[in-house]
Amino acid sequence: MAKHHDANSEPARSREGLLKQFFNATEIDTRILGMIVALLLVWCIFDVWSGYIRPNEGLFGGSFLTPRNLWTLLVQTSSIAVMSTGMVLLIVLRQIDLSVGSMLSLVAVATGVLQVYQLGPALGVGHPAIWILGVLACLTLGTAIGAFNGFLTAYAKIPAFIVTLGGLIAYSGVAFLLARGETVAPMDQNFGIFGGGIASSWLGPFWSWVLAAVGCAAIVRGIVNGRRQRQRFGFPLRPVWAEVFLAAIGSLATLGTTWVMNSYPWPPGVIEKYAKSNSIAIPPGIENRDGKAICMAATQVVHCNEGLIYYTGFSLPALIAIAVCMIMTFIATRTAFGRYIYATGGNPEAAELAGINTRALTVKAFALMGFLVGVSSIISSARLNAATNALGLTNELYVIAATVIGGTSLAGGVGTIYGAMVGALMMQSIISGMSLLNLPAAYQNMVVGGVLVLAVYLDQLYRRRVN
Amino acid sequence: MIRNALIALTTGALLVSASSLPAMAAGKTIAVSWKTFQEERWKTDAAAIKAVVEAAGDKYIDSDAQGSAQKQAADIEGLIAQKPDVIMVVAFDSDAILPSIAAISNAGIKSIAYDVQFEDPNALYITFDNVGVGRIMAKEILKAKPAGNYAFIKGDKGDPNATFLFQGQMEVLKEAMDSGKVKNVCETFTDGWKPDNAQKNMEQCLTSTGNKVDAVLSENDGMASGVVAALTAQGLAGTVPVSGQDGDLAAINRVAMGTQTVSVWKNSVELGKTAAAAAIALANGTAADKIPGVAMFDGGKKKVKMNSILLAPTPITIANIGDAIAAGHITKDQACAGVKGDVMGCK
Amino acid sequence: MAEVKTPLIEMRDISIAFGGIKAVDRASVDLYPGEVVGLLGHNGAGKSTLIKVLSGAYKRDEGQILINGSEVTINNPRDAKALGIETIYQTLALADNVDAAANLYLGRELRTRMGTLDDVAMEAETRKVMKRLNPNFRRFKEPVMKLSGGQRQSVAIARAIHFNARILIMDEPTAALGPQETAQVGELIKQLKADGIGIFLISHDLHDVFDLADRLTVMKNGRVVGSAHVKDVDHDGVLGMIIAGKVPRGATPGPGALVG
Repeated sequence: MAKHHDANSEPARSREGLLKQFFNATEIDTRILGMIVALLLVWCIFDVWSGYIRPNEGLFGGSFLTPRNLWTLLVQTSSIAVMSTGMVLLIVLRQIDLSVGSMLSLVAVATGVLQVYQLGPALGVGHPAIWILGVLACLTLGTAIGAFNGFLTAYAKIPAFIVTLGGLIAYSGVAFLLARGETVAPMDQNFGIFGGGIASSWLGPFWSWVLAAVGCAAIVRGIVNGRRQRQRFGFPLRPVWAEVFLAAIGSLATLGTTWVMNSYPWPPGVIEKYAKSNSIAIPPGIENRDGKAICMAATQVVHCNEGLIYYTGFSLPALIAIAVCMIMTFIATRTAFGRYIYATGGNPEAAELAGINTRALTVKAFALMGFLVGVSSIISSARLNAATNALGLTNELYVIAATVIGGTSLAGGVGTIYGAMVGALMMQSIISGMSLLNLPAAYQNMVVGGVLVLAVYLDQLYRRRVN
Repeated sequence: MIRNALIALTTGALLVSASSLPAMAAGKTIAVSWKTFQEERWKTDAAAIKAVVEAAGDKYIDSDAQGSAQKQAADIEGLIAQKPDVIMVVAFDSDAILPSIAAISNAGIKSIAYDVQFEDPNALYITFDNVGVGRIMAKEILKAKPAGNYAFIKGDKGDPNATFLFQGQMEVLKEAMDSGKVKNVCETFTDGWKPDNAQKNMEQCLTSTGNKVDAVLSENDGMASGVVAALTAQGLAGTVPVSGQDGDLAAINRVAMGTQTVSVWKNSVELGKTAAAAAIALANGTAADKIPGVAMFDGGKKKVKMNSILLAPTPITIANIGDAIAAGHITKDQACAGVKGDVMGCK
Repeated sequence: MAEVKTPLIEMRDISIAFGGIKAVDRASVDLYPGEVVGLLGHNGAGKSTLIKVLSGAYKRDEGQILINGSEVTINNPRDAKALGIETIYQTLALADNVDAAANLYLGRELRTRMGTLDDVAMEAETRKVMKRLNPNFRRFKEPVMKLSGGQRQSVAIARAIHFNARILIMDEPTAALGPQETAQVGELIKQLKADGIGIFLISHDLHDVFDLADRLTVMKNGRVVGSAHVKDVDHDGVLGMIIAGKVPRGATPGPGALVG
């Protein structure tokens, strides 16, 4: 997988503890492992706590560790997660983009107006060209605004903090003006597949398993390939058991996630409507919405199987976020562009002297951020089925927080894409979990803010110990 | 919150009396001191007032304080110098304005507090009944779902309006809640009144209750869009009543589609017309407490008793969408986009 | 011996000013293949600035740069590298957060057929180079910030010599090194000389220069005081040039020489 700077390739000495030997051999990033453990812990706490208030079918009797909540959690996280991957690269490059939230509003409202007020009447509501043009418009506009931010930063030499602080204020103004503050809705129906709220944006169990199988194959192949390459050049190799362990863990995580996604049944209301519009008779075992024998969660699956039941599998927004994570990791670790971003963030002068065009690099990094904002604006507006100038408000704070919780250093040069994804997941877990407990938003803010500061503190402790 | 560019929705008995009054006398002058024209909505109010005043054969003058308390004081001096019969004031600062209001009274001119209250017992206060918005929401939802689990999606915790609205709702629901017919299953503030936050809160509410939510009281239309999106994902949109306010075009469309039950609308054209009619009546010598609809109000900070007209906001429901279209607030295409089946007003 | 050939590099009347102050004032130096020219002077004498003009880090205000007799344009480090001019900076100019191979190939990465980084090939090449330069070097997977001063130095040197440089600029290459490592650098310079590479050696250590250089040029206050073959002058004469700007017998005076 990705390259870990903390990993030590020198052969482990037998004196060292077993655990240390294990981490050395597998080259697992202990930092991210710690975060994942913390995340799982948070999940368990929320499940126990919510079960205490209102018993449900979660792993520990609550509402959190249910397929439904985890499925929803992925959808809720996707927009912030997508943007945070771009923010990682910018912060690694010693830049920052405070304007992502306002950009998201602007892109969403602009393309909302395009879809609803321009293309709808011109082509006829529901025309297939509408969603395609809508998507292209989001991506193009996002990239263009990002490149503009980058240009001002790199060539006009205005600090990114100022450029994007200005953008934060100005773009939201433009977003307001474009629709005079009104909510633009409803979005094009086909466009809705990016939101995860309608049946057509659910992959279904079959294709979810197919994807999972492809994922597992890719993991195994990557590990085998990597080993072969190192063998060819006669480099030190990881022990075979470590390779097998990594392949197993990667595949298990993939299959486990898929299993959870595939355990979430279509909501009964959706099944009813689907059955009605496709004239499928609902067999006994499922009753109408007000009846009690409706499959609500995994433990009732047996019962539900007597009736009509479909499972959602992965939702499109979650898949987009996963795909973006993989592509961005690839960009960060396998391409010259990514290498230059890290090197420039580590020592801008050295990068310049090594012949890297750091200005063009900066523009590209900002443009990439803008592109990802475009992706997020598609997810957000499709999910809400509406575009408003409030849509992206304060998103920049969550994106930066996710990035920093994920271990990206504001000093530049250090940060990982998957760290930011875990950071985003952590933050949304806290927000969703507390919302599940019916705790007021004020408490959610307090806890998220506290976690942000705590995460950075623990990160510093960790780095001091490792170095 | 979001104000739409509002156009006339002709309603209310007040208006009928308004159009009958001006025939009596003409040649009066009605002045207005606006706090700002930066916001689109005040131009709508101004147009409505001017239309009524000029239709009665009276003269309309105004000034724009451009968001400055000092300029507004100077503006009012200027207006007094022109010797109008009535001065309406949209106060920028409801405390700093008081000396200017005293000056108006001393010059023998009548004053009206338009939309924004300032506490001077000689002035007539005309506004929408804000607590009433919450009551109307609750009434409409209760009508649609007299018993069951209610979810409350409140506005931003820092905005007092969020709490006022909730109070209004509770007044109406108290009886049903005490008797156990209505149960509060989720109640959350929504950061920044943001639709996407409302959506997440609604999703979590549905998850925690296992979809056992029978009605949702959302405090505005933007958040209602998030609530409806969350309900749609569970196949519940259209079966669970949802409230809102502001008369957003998208909300009216949802009302037509049946996914939202009511959007409470504060029609500023109506407010302008009512105020203009009252001003003309004052100019013609009618005592403030003799104007139709006037009642005593003492709900301000200092509890000063004032004559006031509190307009009832208009609930837009599936039954009166046709009226909103007829009034030109929304086009039929906008209101009825994607509507299938029988909806009055979309035919 | 060198006089009959065209100089490998010739910098003519180079001037550069920062905020009105002339850091380098009409300085001229030249360098022949297989030759080491020492550049001497106090801190702030302008030697590093002059050399940064050649490596593309600074853009000159006036003057010409000729390579093998024809004029070239050097506007940035990329131009310089394309002409075969490599530099080992006093600060080393390493990206501390990436590993040795990434630094060695920074800006000229090896790619796979797919266009992605070929990290394995780069690591293999780096291992080869480092075996030659510093056989004890093992920490190929760690960011260079975790390496010792000598190890970092060898990464910087490896980067400069790995891409078939014609001209090598070494700015205080031994400043951070112990005696043994300094001797290694000396060996390396001799080896590179034998390969026909021209080297500018910037130092304020007279011994280094007398040991390694063929000629030397002394700068003071941005100007060239004088140049000489190492064998034609002694330490005291050179010190006189550095400190007082006095040109001894056997040296050719430059525009910065003390008159009288």
